[in-house]
Amino acid sequence: MKYSLLFIAFLTVAAVTADETPSSNITINCENAKTGAACSKQQTQVIDSTGLDTVVTDVPKKEDFLAKGAEVRISVIGQGVAPMNTSSPAQAYALAKRAATADAYRLLAEKVKGVRIDGQDLIKNMMVQRSTVRTTVQAMVKNANVVETTFKEGLCEVEMEIVLAHAQFSN
Amino acid sequence: MRSRDGNRLGTRSIFKLVFLFSSLVLSASEYLISYRYVVQDAILRNETLSIAKTMQKCSGSTYDSLLLESDGGDNLKQIIFQNEDKFFSFIHALGLDVKHSEINTNLQNSSTTILTLKTTCFKVDFNDNFAKISPLN
Repeated sequence: MKYSLLFIAFLTVAAVTADETPSSNITINCENAKTGAACSKQQTQVIDSTGLDTVVTDVPKKEDFLAKGAEVRISVIGQGVAPMNTSSPAQAYALAKRAATADAYRLLAEKVKGVRIDGQDLIKNMMVQRSTVRTTVQAMVKNANVVETTFKEGLCEVEMEIVLAHAQFSN
Repeated sequence: MRSRDGNRLGTRSIFKLVFLFSSLVLSASEYLISYRYVVQDAILRNETLSIAKTMQKCSGSTYDSLLLESDGGDNLKQIIFQNEDKFFSFIHALGLDVKHSEINTNLQNSSTTILTLKTTCFKVDFNDNFAKISPLN
């Protein structure tokens, strides 16, 4: 009786310790980690609960576009046209300038943040029926400066620039 | 010992100072301003500037300011329209939200760009010859 109780207790302890094995273990290895330099590639090693299967995936590291202390100056030229039904040349200029400024802002947003492009082609009986390309840009543009404004033959051109510094993105 | 006239003069000047200070404090008020314009196919289609006095106090601190010339009035709309270019340049520098969509169907292009200044609280100090506008963050 005494030995059977001891045997049952031993079996329970063995079962509990068997359940406590880790389900997964993730380690990140880097070739030149000893030197402290940034890794060109990150290697992720995933070890399953069995400890037998090993999956290695390469995660490319994000490149630094702006070095510390560096600045990038982005310059664009936006174009705008005055509407046909303006009451005076001054009004035409003001409206065209506003349109050109919006265009310049859009160009800055495109350069800094990027453009989303969706395309769709409809082909019927081996002929292209309709081809559509949609582009969208959405961003917040701050501290853009107007460099020069020109108005010639109904077309207004606004040159704008924005200075991007590393400090703006480091926080 | 001071004379009565001297004391009266002193009291009067103190009252003047208090009145001046209180009038300066009272002339500072807060406004909510939003701005939006739509450009379609490189032509300005719609422009809206909304100005409203706040009904409750805004929180935050001022971080930038613009001085606009005025003729002593406290009508912000009028002051802004008198200094339109300066004010819109200031608003552009504060930061605008850009939404642009362009569609090209069978090689024919059309585009719409919307620039928006989200509703922002501005503190405005009206003085004799100018108004100081500062956004609150």
